[in-house]
Amino acid sequence: MKAKLKIWRQTPRPDGSVQRELVPFEIDVHEEATLLDTLDAIKHHVDGSLAYRKSCRMAVCGSCGMRMDGRAVLACKVRMAPLVEDGRTPVISPMGNMPVIRDLVTDMSDFWSKIRATTPWLVQDDTRPKPADGREHLISPEEQAKITKESLCIMCGCCVSECNSMEADPAFMGPAALAKAYRFVGDERDDATRERLKAVDTRHGVWDCTRCYFCNERCPKGVDPRDAIAKLGAALFDHGMTRDKGARHAQIFINSAKGKGSFPGTGLLYNGHLAETALVPYTLGPEALLPEWAMMGVRLAMRGKAPPPWHSALHRQEGLDEVQELWRILEREDGPSRRGGEFDTPAGEMPPNIARSLRGMFTARELNERTGTKLVDEPTEESAS
Amino acid sequence: MVTQHDVVIVGAGLAGMRAAIEAARGGVDVAVVSKLHPVRSHSGSAEGGINVALGNVADDDPDIHTFDTIKGSDYLADQDAAEIMCHEAIEDIIELEHMGCYFSRLPNGRIAQRPFGAAGSPRTAFAADITGHVLLHVMYEQLLKHEVKVYEEYFAVDLAMDGETCTGVVCWDLVNGGVKAVAARSTVLATGGMGRMFHGTTNAYACTGDGMAMAFRAGAPLKDMEMMQFHPTTLKSNGVLITEGCRGEGGYLRNSEGERFMAKYAPNALELASRDVVSRSEWTEIHEGRGVDGCVLLDLTHLGADHINRALPGSRELALDHAGVDAIDDPIPVRPGAHYQMGGVATDVWGRTPIEGLYAAGEVACVSVHGANRLGGNSLLETVVYGRRTGAKAAEEAAERRPVEATRTAAGIDMVRQRVNRLLATESGPRSDELREALATTMYDNLGVFRDEAGMTQAVKDIAELRARYDEGVVVQDKGDVFNSDLTYAIEVGYLLEMADTLAQCGVFRKESRGAHSRTDFVERDDENWLCHTIVRRTPEDPEFTIETAPVTITKHQPKVRTY
Ligand SMILES: Cc1cc2nc3c(=O)[nH]c(=O)nc-3n(C[C@H](O)[C@H](O)[C@H](O)COP(=O)(O)OP(=O)(O)OC[C@H]3O[C@@H](n4cnc5c(N)ncnc54)[C@H](O)[C@@H]3O)c2cc1C
Repeated sequence: MKAKLKIWRQTPRPDGSVQRELVPFEIDVHEEATLLDTLDAIKHHVDGSLAYRKSCRMAVCGSCGMRMDGRAVLACKVRMAPLVEDGRTPVISPMGNMPVIRDLVTDMSDFWSKIRATTPWLVQDDTRPKPADGREHLISPEEQAKITKESLCIMCGCCVSECNSMEADPAFMGPAALAKAYRFVGDERDDATRERLKAVDTRHGVWDCTRCYFCNERCPKGVDPRDAIAKLGAALFDHGMTRDKGARHAQIFINSAKGKGSFPGTGLLYNGHLAETALVPYTLGPEALLPEWAMMGVRLAMRGKAPPPWHSALHRQEGLDEVQELWRILEREDGPSRRGGEFDTPAGEMPPNIARSLRGMFTARELNERTGTKLVDEPTEESAS
Repeated sequence: MVTQHDVVIVGAGLAGMRAAIEAARGGVDVAVVSKLHPVRSHSGSAEGGINVALGNVADDDPDIHTFDTIKGSDYLADQDAAEIMCHEAIEDIIELEHMGCYFSRLPNGRIAQRPFGAAGSPRTAFAADITGHVLLHVMYEQLLKHEVKVYEEYFAVDLAMDGETCTGVVCWDLVNGGVKAVAARSTVLATGGMGRMFHGTTNAYACTGDGMAMAFRAGAPLKDMEMMQFHPTTLKSNGVLITEGCRGEGGYLRNSEGERFMAKYAPNALELASRDVVSRSEWTEIHEGRGVDGCVLLDLTHLGADHINRALPGSRELALDHAGVDAIDDPIPVRPGAHYQMGGVATDVWGRTPIEGLYAAGEVACVSVHGANRLGGNSLLETVVYGRRTGAKAAEEAAERRPVEATRTAAGIDMVRQRVNRLLATESGPRSDELREALATTMYDNLGVFRDEAGMTQAVKDIAELRARYDEGVVVQDKGDVFNSDLTYAIEVGYLLEMADTLAQCGVFRKESRGAHSRTDFVERDDENWLCHTIVRRTPEDPEFTIETAPVTITKHQPKVRTY
């Protein structure tokens, strides 16, 4: 088949600037050809100076990360046939969030130093007893499975390439390094959890993520780095590390949704309606009074992008009941033994008003069907009979 | 530019990194040179697992592992080397687990083990079908922990030699351009295999026999080069490997008539017979007209979606990406493909070559533990066990050697610079890939699963012609310094051609059938005349090869007829 590509070729000039040029190619390739095979065909038969990385061509070495039509892909994992059938001419460019060395080759040194900064190896205390028989640690399949996804990471850089937060804050640790950090936090054999969590609880750590989920979507290996970041966030809560604004925001969001909070005089925030307007000032604390923040709030309100403060007194967020019930179930299921570490504050009772509304909405069986989990305090059919 | 270290390791796959870690533990200053970033190494593509007689699933014993290895090798393995590997395996794998390696687990928490071809017990420890990947990454973690200096994307072009002694390695800096030398008292080659000389290989683009060729040109003997293993289940389009784990998990091989043909060739072991046996059976089926478009069918459909998704997700993905087949619904067309070079730089059981200061470990080396046929799961093990032993020895002996003065690498730097300049200056002639394609064709046609005198002699002739064309000059279109992969491909093709030449000539030389070397004109194994290694060598000055034999070390196991 005839495959067509347009490639952004980039050549550094001696003066430090870069010459950029979008070059079209058309080349014969076999039916099963991948994007990488197509680049090879170009390099071997058209222009030997085309620069890109490659090695295993089976999606495990992580060399051939690049962008196709603006999205990060592994070139060896993209089949050309469907593109050719659709008559498409994809545009190939280097990964984002990294300096370009030449053509499709990027400088990944920042990527590697961020990985390096997570202490990416198992750390064990001298006091931890070694397995008595001198053999392996006994790890149940379920326990091992906690780090399965993160263990799949091939460090190709596709997630970092697409990371919106890193675009805004180049110092953000980024999805790959955070997934690597979780790989050890989630490992029963590791004893450095606190230090690891401290290292990700910084301005450029866990809470710097904007949750755009591009990393999950573009990861070619199913690592789901954003999920790893969420797990780190949860672990921070488990260890009482909740001082960061990000953590406070999450906490207040939850409290507001649950209708439960500890500040005095916060009826508006904690009435169980999820009070969006109040979230920001409570997250920021006294800082909210700074003119920049205050003015931003006013501007948002004037453009209709923030509801008035009294809004939540009258309006309950749609679907909140379900969220609340899920939360309740999670609080029971997700005990300290499952996640490792103690909860800072034990899970509380749901306010009676919410419990009532829930009972009105779902039967025990429906809840079971919706969530796959049994309610403890509701009579189930088995326990009833 | 020259930098100096006590030990330099060329290659950052499993063998190289394991050697580096052990050398670092030995308290010497270690550096690693690699043309790829360490985690890009081809060790990461190993899927099935790593053999170790842990006995977690069924009774097992390192002695049985040793016997299986020797029998699998068709009695060409050096038995002392195999004993060491199988016995030290247990401690080494446990250490990997203690380093934090991810393993699939049994319900009781122990490392899971699965059956693999030609093994007397379910002995292959694994992590789903990404075993090489998790091992490679845990090794990289340890490399970082030990703060080993890595020269990333440094392409080693030649060894630096001071008379008869190896004094380091001369490299081309791929990212910035320029010839740079790393001087060292001990140099360890860990550059992996050379499958790229064949069409339809499971090997990565980077597996071009560089280390073997560098050692060979410096005068180090290569051992058993004719022994290229063919893996029975590779995809037709590009040789991508579908792991033996698929058969270990219960997959069937069928011909065009739907028959499980292995029953004819290996009535007991069936699909789990040793690799050479399965590859030959497939070849026979295909050539007797019972193939499907040049392939046989690897059928997993009866395992069910759950089992496939849990135990073999990577294989399913590869078949989807490279053959357009979903293994849950349809059988995967597969055929034998060049997979693993059992031969390589001859070493003793401490990774030492006859050249002072030069060591080798991993696929580049031939200790030999695999003999004429490697068992699946034994080469990852070899990288770990012999990587460790070689790293330890290289460090220990480096401490005893005098430091290498930087000027001792000057001759090497000059030679490499001349070679690079010559390549860049050539204006007319073939492109390197044209020569590689022609080489891969003659190798696949004449040195595949079955061989004979006529075919192999043809290959020797073809290779001689290709080598002559290469020497006249290949064109490198990229004339720049920055990331000039056109230049490094051209150098790699030179290595491939020379190593292919050794393979073909040793093939002609060995007049029997043993393991992977299966001749239709000498169908029997001939222990009387050929229970011996082939040793090929040249001198730095004279490119002509000499081939001779060397005895096999036999300790406990006298050769027997090999059936499965
Ligand atoms: C698809 C596949 C699946 C496999 N599955 C299994 C399995 O399940 N079990 C098993 O036991 N074995 C398996 N094997 C075999 C096994 O993976 C390899 O033999 C082994 O990993 C080789 O390791 P190595 O460290 O010797 O080389 P590699 O991992 O190939 O590393 C070579 C290193 O050398 C470097 N290098 C090469 N040339 C140069 C140069 N000129 N300059 C600088 N650096 C250089 C490379 O950058 C790389 O870092 C498999 C092999 C393949 C191809």
